[in-house]
Amino acid sequence: MGARSTATLLLLGLTLLCSARDAEDQDRDVAVVVNTGNPIKNVSLGDLRRIFVGTKHLWPGGQAIKLVTRGPGCSERMALLKLMAMSEIEYKQYWTAQVFRGEADAEPFTVPSVGMQKEALNLFPGAITLVKMTEVKPGMKVLRVEGLLPGEAGYPLR
Amino acid sequence: MPGRKIRTRIDCVLLALLLVPASSWAQQANSGDEAAITQLVQQIKQLQQQDHDLQERIKILEAKQAPAPSVPAADPGLPSPSPQTAEQTPSPAPPEAAPAPSPAPREWHDVRGIQWRGFGEVNYQVLNQRKPELGTGGFIPGSAGNFYTDDFGLFLTSRLTDKASVLSEIIFEEGDAQSYSLNLRRMLLKYDYNDHLKFSFGRYQTNIGYYNWAFRSAAWLQTTADRPLVMQYASDGGLLPTQAVGVSVTGTIPSGKLGLHYIAEYGSSDTIRPDINGDGLLNDENNGNQINLGLFLRPDTVPGLQIGGSYYHDKISNFIQGPSLRYGQGIVNGYVVYVAHGIEFLNEGFLIRYAALHFSDVVFNTPAFYSQISKRIVHIRPFFRYQYINASPNNSIYNDVGLRLGPSFGARYDLNDYIAFTAQLDHTVRRGEPDLNGLQLQWAFTF
Repeated sequence: MGARSTATLLLLGLTLLCSARDAEDQDRDVAVVVNTGNPIKNVSLGDLRRIFVGTKHLWPGGQAIKLVTRGPGCSERMALLKLMAMSEIEYKQYWTAQVFRGEADAEPFTVPSVGMQKEALNLFPGAITLVKMTEVKPGMKVLRVEGLLPGEAGYPLR
Repeated sequence: MPGRKIRTRIDCVLLALLLVPASSWAQQANSGDEAAITQLVQQIKQLQQQDHDLQERIKILEAKQAPAPSVPAADPGLPSPSPQTAEQTPSPAPPEAAPAPSPAPREWHDVRGIQWRGFGEVNYQVLNQRKPELGTGGFIPGSAGNFYTDDFGLFLTSRLTDKASVLSEIIFEEGDAQSYSLNLRRMLLKYDYNDHLKFSFGRYQTNIGYYNWAFRSAAWLQTTADRPLVMQYASDGGLLPTQAVGVSVTGTIPSGKLGLHYIAEYGSSDTIRPDINGDGLLNDENNGNQINLGLFLRPDTVPGLQIGGSYYHDKISNFIQGPSLRYGQGIVNGYVVYVAHGIEFLNEGFLIRYAALHFSDVVFNTPAFYSQISKRIVHIRPFFRYQYINASPNNSIYNDVGLRLGPSFGARYDLNDYIAFTAQLDHTVRRGEPDLNGLQLQWAFTF
């Protein structure tokens, strides 16, 4: 085996390993999903944060935003907490405070599974939720975040 | 020779890299039973997921058909999922065969019921003097240590339409001899035209500064056991006019990543504040109509940072000198706050200015500030606060306040999502009086 072919094989092996790692990372991406009737296609990270902290209540067309979240422990919840820069305890206290302040009617609706997320998306035209990229189902509209789709390099939610 | 050795090693590494996946492939190919088992397990998992999805679909459809409850749970717009039972059987139809979801009925989306929540606190306070420092929550003169309940509140909201809602905050405030007075601290008809224009009509809590907006009445919301003195409710001896009846307009200003918001309030205050030195006097300020304008920003680049300021103006009477002597009241506030990643860092400064409108050109400036820092460590949040108020000895409006400064420190422990225990030590330096030391233990809860 020549030195050049050895080096080529090594490079190929490393490339395969790296791409496998990238694919693993991309699988951890969390998609921002809305009702299929929602005309919005892209959302900035700042707007996304404003939506999920409950300071932005309406979509550009005037439709009320309905927050749907997953329960503690799952990767979607971790991505949400990272977006809001909060821990689980702080998240709960934050929403209780938002209700007492009169800034929100209630805490975001928490559902236990992706199936129920899909149901909620269908029921509420203004619904928005986070779904693990590998669990996105037909009938869910995935938004770009800062122009990027989940799985693309530099996607900010995972 | 060394070149050959290196090449041999590289070949070994390559061989190993190729052999590892090849051997695992060979294992899979050779063990046919294992593959079949894996396939079966996957099928079972898929069936379980389908079963789970179907049960959820049934629950949602059942809830859709059910009449709206009069007193809904945490989110009235949606059903509260009941625990799954063994008796529940999934629909034979697969999820795809179920009827297409229709738009949410009104009863589902916006229940016309009343949501209510509550909050309360039980305190034990010890001071090294036998009179209360504030006109606060049932602390009885004559004993150095006392239990008291301060505020017990009921918080009611009801959504009327997509854009209109009602909010009220009813407080049972403990006074002397365990008597309770009723205080409608907030009663608002809210109309949110859009994110840029939100109206509130009724009795509101003035948005002077951050603390008033962030913590409202419930002690459970606060890190510390009490509010900074300058932010105390006027009915407890606080320096600011905390309530008014009128209209409040808030919203966002299109400003990109700056996250600019505005506040505009116009209303009638009628503040009566008790002296905080325990002499029992009440000061009726006979306020006129107040205006409060504020701006704050929440930049996208630093989540959790909020920087803002406000200017408040009113005309009040000096209780001691009689109602004919009117003062212009101006309150300038500025704050920098960071609340994220478990850190709470609050800094607010005030300049309370009274300028005589007739007969005199007397002006009193009262500077005040507080700074509070805390960091959550799992369930415990140790905190430190320093506060400062300096009212002129000649200021007859704040003649009970004078100079007060000093630190508070302690910790809050969250037992769960609803109950917190706080222990706090205070040391206050006072002009012309001995230093005041205090210990406060508090159970705060929400329900």
